[in-house]
Formats: sequence, C-alpha cells, structure tokens
Amino acid sequence: MRFPDLLAMSVNNLRRRKLRTALTVLGVIVGTASIVVMMSLGIGMSEMQMELMESYGSMTAINVYCDTYSQPQGGTDPIYLTDEVVEQIRHMEHVDGISPLLSVGVMMRQGQYTASYVNLVGVTEDYMEQIPVGEGTYPKMDGSQVEMLFGNMVLQNFSNGRQGSSYYETGELPDVDLMGQPIFVIYDMDAYYQSMNGGTGADGTTPVKPPKKYMVPVSGIVAGGADDYNQYSWDVYTDLEALKTQLKQVFKKNPIPGQPTNRKGKPYNYFIYSNAVVYVDEIENVKEVQTAISDMGFQASSNSEWMEQNEKQSQMTQMVLGGIGAVSLFVAAIGIANTMMMSIYERTKEIGVMKVLGCDMGDIRNMFLMESGFIGLMGGVIGLALSYGISYLMNRLPAVSQMMMGMTGMEGNLSRIPLWLAGTAMVFAVVVGMAAGFFPAVRAMNLSPLAAIRNE
Amino acid sequence: MAENTEKRTPPIIQVRNLYKVYRVGESKVFALNGVTFSLNRGEFCAVVGPSGSGKSTLLNMMAGLEKPSKGEIVIAGTHIERMTERELVTFRRENVGFIFQSYNLIKTMNAVENVAMPLTFRGVPKKIRMERARKYLKLVGLEKQMDHMANEMSGGQQQRVGIARALVVDPRIIFADEPTGNLDSKTTMDVLRLMRRIVRERNQTLIMVTHDTHLAGFADKQIHIVDGKILKIEEQYHDDEEEI
Repeated sequence: MRFPDLLAMSVNNLRRRKLRTALTVLGVIVGTASIVVMMSLGIGMSEMQMELMESYGSMTAINVYCDTYSQPQGGTDPIYLTDEVVEQIRHMEHVDGISPLLSVGVMMRQGQYTASYVNLVGVTEDYMEQIPVGEGTYPKMDGSQVEMLFGNMVLQNFSNGRQGSSYYETGELPDVDLMGQPIFVIYDMDAYYQSMNGGTGADGTTPVKPPKKYMVPVSGIVAGGADDYNQYSWDVYTDLEALKTQLKQVFKKNPIPGQPTNRKGKPYNYFIYSNAVVYVDEIENVKEVQTAISDMGFQASSNSEWMEQNEKQSQMTQMVLGGIGAVSLFVAAIGIANTMMMSIYERTKEIGVMKVLGCDMGDIRNMFLMESGFIGLMGGVIGLALSYGISYLMNRLPAVSQMMMGMTGMEGNLSRIPLWLAGTAMVFAVVVGMAAGFFPAVRAMNLSPLAAIRNE
Repeated sequence: MAENTEKRTPPIIQVRNLYKVYRVGESKVFALNGVTFSLNRGEFCAVVGPSGSGKSTLLNMMAGLEKPSKGEIVIAGTHIERMTERELVTFRRENVGFIFQSYNLIKTMNAVENVAMPLTFRGVPKKIRMERARKYLKLVGLEKQMDHMANEMSGGQQQRVGIARALVVDPRIIFADEPTGNLDSKTTMDVLRLMRRIVRERNQTLIMVTHDTHLAGFADKQIHIVDGKILKIEEQYHDDEEEI
C-alpha cells in the first residue's frame, strides 16, 4: 500500500469513533502536559539558581590565592604571586584577563569621622570593569594618581572619633559626604597609632612623628544602597599601578605592611600579591585553567565546582519531577492500548476481509500503529499548547511568584519550556502512542482471515 | 494469446488427496477425507453439499485461508499448501477475487471506494483505481449507486458491489462463498447470471460454494460433496441466455 492511502485509512478510522478518540487523546494531553510542566519547573528552578550564582560572582572567574606565610622552608625559593607570574598566567590559553589584588589596610578621615582598617584594593582594568558603578565614574586607570571607587557599604565603617559612636550602635549612617568633601587617607596606620600612644618609637627613644595624611579624590561609588550587599560592597578600589607608586613613596625603604619579607627580614624590591582574579573566556574552560594554575603551586577556586554540584542536583530534581509526570503519561499509554484493543475487536471482521482481499500483513500492522501514533501526536501537540498556557499562568500569577520569592528568595520565571523540551515531549508522545499500539497492532496483523467468512 | 493455444492443459486448479482433520477432544473429525479433482481455466464450478459436508472448508483451503492437514493444492503451477501466511496474502492479492455471503463491504466507504479497496492494497494510485472501480460498477449495473454508502443499498446491490470488488483486480480465479445465500430468489437469479456472464466473457475461473442443488445447476461443473468425500462430479454446458 502507498503511504498516503495508509494514512488516509488510519485517519478515517479515528474519525469514525470521535468520542473515543477524543477521550484517549485527552489522556495523552494530560500526560504530556504534566511531564512538560514538571520538567519546566525543574529547569526554571535550576536556571534561577544559576542566575543567583552569577549574581554572587562571575562564573568564568577564578580566584587565585598565594599563602605568603606558609611557604616551603629551606633552600627552595618561595612561590609568590609576582608581576612575572601574573604575566605568565595572562598569556595562558583561554585566559581573557587577570587582575592581581593588592590590598592594604588604611585609615580614612573626613572631618570628625574616622574609619580604620579600610581595605584599599589596587586592581587592573580587567577587574575594575566588572564593578558596577552607581554614582560617579570609574577611577583613572593610567597609573598617574590614586583615585578611589568606594564600595557602597564602606560608609558604615566611619565613626565619630570623639563620641565613639558607630553605625552599629546608632543605626544612623555617619554624616560623611564621599563625593563632595575631601577624604584624607593615612597609609601608615602603625605609625599613626604609635604616635597616638605617647609618641615613642619601637625602641622607646625616638619619638614617632604622626604620619602624613594624603588627600585622595573619590571618583565614584559602587552601585547599590548602603544595605544592598554585593561582592564589591566592603572594599575601596583603585588603580593598581597608582597604588604601587603611592606605597613606595610613602614607605620608601621600610617594609610595607602585608608584604612578606625574605629570610633576613628585608622586604623584596617588588610587590607580592596575596591573591588575583583570572577571567576565562568560556565556562567550559574554567576547569582546565584552574588546574593549570593549581599546578603552578597556587590555590585556585572558582564557582565552577559549586556549579557542577548544583547541576547534578538540579538534574536529580528534574528527573524526579519528570518521573512524576511520566506516571500520568504511562496511564495515558494504557488508555491508548485499551482503545486500540477495543477498536481491533470491533473491526475483526473488517480486518479479516482486508486479509482475504490481499492486504499485506505489514500494512495492517502499520495502519494500526499509525492510528495510535496519531493519538499520541494529537495529544502531544495539544498537551504542549496546554503546557505553554499553564507555564504562562504560573509565571504571571502574583500569588505563585510571591510564594516562590518567600521560599527560595529568587526572582524570575518559575516555569521555563526550552525548545528542546517541547520537541522531545512531542516525539516522546508519538513514540509512547506507537509503543502502546504495538501489541494491539501485531494482534490485528495476526487475526485469522476466516473471521471474514463467518456469518453472524 | 499464448495461453489460448495451450488452453485446456494444464488445469488451473489441481486438488490431490486433500484431508482436513479437526481434533475434538479425543476423537478426530474428518472435514475433508481425501478429495481429488481438477478445474480448467474459464470453468464455472459449483461445490454442492449439505451443511457440514466440508464444502466451505474446501473453498477456504483453495483460497489459502486454511491449511490442509494433508494433500496438495496446485494453483497455476504453484503449491499453495506450502506457502506461509504472508505469501498467501500476496498470492490472493495477485490472483484471487473473493465474493462473500454477507457481502462484507466496509461500512464507512461508499461503493466506489469499496470496489477500489483491493487496488489500494496493490498500491495503485488513487486516480487510476477510482476510474477502474467506476468501470466495474458500471459493468455490474450500478451506475446510479456509485456514491452510496454500504447501508444505503439493498442486499442485491451490495452483492453486486461485492462482485465488482472481486473482479476489479482482474483475478484468474474467483471464489464465491454462498454468494446468494442472503438474497431473495429473483435477485439470486440476476446475480448468478451476472457472475456467469462476466467470468465467461473474461475467461476467468469461478468457484462457487452452495447448498442449493438447483443453483448449482447453473454451473458448468458440479462437485457434490457429502461427509468430506466427493460423491459425484457432473459436467454440463449452458448458454448465457439460458433460463433456469
């Protein structure tokens, strides 16, 4: 038989019993929709988690640490993160950029307000451009002058020197105007405290002069309010090269706090960074680069490990949700098989006649397979449309999204149906239909043609 | 035609020593008990016998619907008792037309579609098969009922559709199982005369099973069967116009 004839016969048979076909299709609709909606919830949840993670930090960034205090003892040279190493990593494959972080604790003053141990971090342009700026602009990055980008929560560090009250006690933000009034920075905090405590030096003889204050311009503030945390909230950022120049100028030959010294207790004549951030081009390459950096003797960590774990977990969730949906499609499959069996019993005589008249056995089987496949296809298409409707409602209903916010603290579309899910669901529905119709179809094929001869 | 020159030899159907045994509990029932005969091309043969004589079993076996227990059936040089079910279906599609007692038209199709159905099984394109179906419906005198559904026609009309359906594939052999069993006597005569005229015109072989000896008189050859055995074979020639 030709394919169009086979198709026409199958469709005609379905049209003959409209109600029964409709009920069977309804089963498949419910089955398909429940799988797709369940899966879409799983996908939505894992994607939301992914977005949440991205907000914590870039997925393609690797943090490199170098513990300056626990270096190998003995003859080997210590492994430090130096400019040389930074350049080496910058030229590795898949690395888009790198920024060493040079952080120093400084004291800042404006009027009667003082903030001590503020973390001033020198970074390169690669790092700086990741920071979202709210007020003002980025600092100058040409190495000429230290300009500061304030974290949006640093303001909480300032306290009134005379009253000694801080934000934590009063709950009031200090009256510090970062952008308008000048900020003074004291780099040498040790000297400052020594000069405050009686003015004698370490050996008790030479009086310590109060260290010099530097007026440093503020170029901008990180985006966000005073209570909105992000990873840039608590630090003050500036240009790395400018900070290096400034520190050399302040400390001259003296050791810079935070920088390690050699075995004789003398400072190195180059800067050593405690950590750095490496930017990788693609998420897939993060692992490779991370391993390479670890092999160089540094500690490296990234969100990719966390993400991998998370991926496994969300796969599990999706499987469980999909499994629940699959139960109803399984029930629908039983419905299809039942319908097909009924239809074959009804048409025993007709099938017999067709066999007597020389209809190929394979054609009879295919005819029934196509019928059940059609039931699956119709159920799949309508079920998919229904799924899109349910998904739309779920994402729009305020009650649902509020509940989600309360449960997980995440925002965004709860139910997401990617194209691959839609396609797979459709194919799956047809396959399930045909699988359910297979045994009835084989049964029809093997019916005796003698049924046609019998007279009732 | 080459077939015409060697017309009477060999016979189109040869049945040799055919047995069909049913087991009912411990005992054996012989539906057919050693039947041997042969039919020539273009013959109209009636298989006559009372009910339970095994005549329907014989027909079913010749049409490849049932397997014989023992014996040979050679149709056009082919042993059909050795064929698998799939081969038998193909064999019927290519060589056999079948007319049923209860017409067995497909109720959801109209007359033309019913007649065209066996051509569908052969993979004939729709346009050609519809054309041929109309031609054969005209041949059986149903020009006006072509678009009628099966249940919109009388028994006689339905059986004519059945005949057209058997003829449309231009088969070498036509089997008819009590084709007039559900018809009244006048329609029976019409249908029988129609069948005989057409197969004679086209030199086709028609095998009809009936319990009515009177109707069997219509045929060129009568095979009388009683209790699974051939009682006698009668041969007589009729003119097309002859009345019974």
